[in-house]
Amino acid sequence: MKKRNWKSAFTSSLFVLPYLFFFTIFLLIPIIYGIWISMHNWDLLSPEHEFVGLGNYQKIFNPDSYLNGLFFDGLLNTFQFVIYSVPILVVVGLALALLVNSLPDRFKGFFRTTYFLSYSVSVSVVAIIWLWVLDTNSGLINQYLMKLGLQGIPWLTNMPWAWVSLVIATVWWTIGFNMVILINALNDVSEELYEASALDGANRWQRLIHVTLPSIRPVMLFVLITSTIASFNVYGQPYLMTRGGPGDSTKVLLMNIVDEAFEQRQLGTSAAMSLLMALIMIIISVVQFKLTKEKE
Amino acid sequence: MDSKAGKLFRIALASIIALLFLVPLFWMLATSFKNDFEAITSGIQWLPQEFTFENYLYSLADVPVLRWMSNSLFVGITGTLLVVVVDTLAAYGLARLDVPFKKVLISMFIGSLMIPWVITFLPLYMEFNQFGLLDTYAVLILPYTANAFGVFLLYQYFRGFPKSLEEAAHLDGANKWQVFTKVVLPSAKPTIWTLAIFTFMGIYNDFLWPLVTTTSPEMRTITTGIAVMQQGSFVSSPGKLMALTSIATIPAVLLFIIGQRSFIKGVTQTGIK
Repeated sequence: MKKRNWKSAFTSSLFVLPYLFFFTIFLLIPIIYGIWISMHNWDLLSPEHEFVGLGNYQKIFNPDSYLNGLFFDGLLNTFQFVIYSVPILVVVGLALALLVNSLPDRFKGFFRTTYFLSYSVSVSVVAIIWLWVLDTNSGLINQYLMKLGLQGIPWLTNMPWAWVSLVIATVWWTIGFNMVILINALNDVSEELYEASALDGANRWQRLIHVTLPSIRPVMLFVLITSTIASFNVYGQPYLMTRGGPGDSTKVLLMNIVDEAFEQRQLGTSAAMSLLMALIMIIISVVQFKLTKEKE
Repeated sequence: MDSKAGKLFRIALASIIALLFLVPLFWMLATSFKNDFEAITSGIQWLPQEFTFENYLYSLADVPVLRWMSNSLFVGITGTLLVVVVDTLAAYGLARLDVPFKKVLISMFIGSLMIPWVITFLPLYMEFNQFGLLDTYAVLILPYTANAFGVFLLYQYFRGFPKSLEEAAHLDGANKWQVFTKVVLPSAKPTIWTLAIFTFMGIYNDFLWPLVTTTSPEMRTITTGIAVMQQGSFVSSPGKLMALTSIATIPAVLLFIIGQRSFIKGVTQTGIK
């Protein structure tokens, strides 16, 4: 068997070749090309691109360069969105899963579908709906506040309300997905563990802490990492709802990268910013993975 | 153990939360049947005082919304078919056949799952720009084929497939291709279906990529087309905007309600355990 049968190896390769072709053209080459672009002074309008080595990266870390502000202000805004949204997406997602699971069987399907429904609409629909609900003058929420004799809230134009609005819209849109994954995980927890803890006289809360949470830890980790990555990549919500405002205070890193590339036409610097952003995302995923694994 | 009051309380709580999810959608529908003046000035009016279809007629006549939806469907379905075929073949080859450099390929593909897409975003744009393929269906479909998620998902499935069945077919004189299509593929259907749903939703809902790679109105997807309208001519016309979003939302929601069972099954199947 050790002797390689060349004919067989050839026919077998045909199975993998189509994917390998796409993988090479649309992933491998772009990665290398991206690194190459990031080492050039690459103005989209100019035919000549001067090689600058790590110059673009140096500029990002040089406090005197405009790129420094562009990158780190954007990164700080992205971080804020991640920190505000991810805990809610994970913890409330779990709470919804527990709630749905605790309902009588004939209600489960209805509520699961209802909480999951908004996941089916696209980001522009989410943004448009919430812009309208949160509208300062004619919005549903402010109308009710004014009815109660309260002042309307400038949801999209003032801090911290702009963040609140973006987080509300995001949670409404995507939390159902986390909930569904967690419901599946909850259903997989073995009945025996619950029975054993019931015999030990554990109450509902103790069961949650000592039985449920440890059993679903791997799924929680998955939800945590995917939510973090999704929040890191946030673009549509601030682009459509606040347009980065008020001022530049909700302008996330990805928006700055897109502006630098397509408004300023500076491909070299924007490619360098993308590579750094990706590097940060990889580091955060690895750290989250390590931190949650270590406890076991 | 479980008191009746507790049960009622949980149902009540669940219902209130359900309202939070449904009210924005209902408000969208309600507004879409109001004229702009009423929408802006009438305050909390759950049902329109003057019921009008004008917004829908206007959206369907003056906005290429049907074209955008066909674009989204076409791009989503073609992309999904491509991904499913290519990924299934590769996964089977890697799981079962004597592909040269198998180990290297497997670790390269799985490793690529770690790479955030933002790395390839700009260089991919430049690549398509150089080939003159911006603002075409190619740019809206091809980039999604590089994702290794499906290869990984199906690779795991094929590894778990009982080898004895394949060997029996081999002994009966079937060649690789016949074994693959007649014996292995039929059993992989649910996993392939899962991959198809995830891929379709990913392509259909993508925003930034189609936004920057298309410029002409007739190449827009529904997601980006609506966004452009929101920022442009419909900006102060809530009735028309809500009619437009309703047109885009209703089919998606209906499809979702029908398909959610397979989707939920799929979530369990992706091996998130």
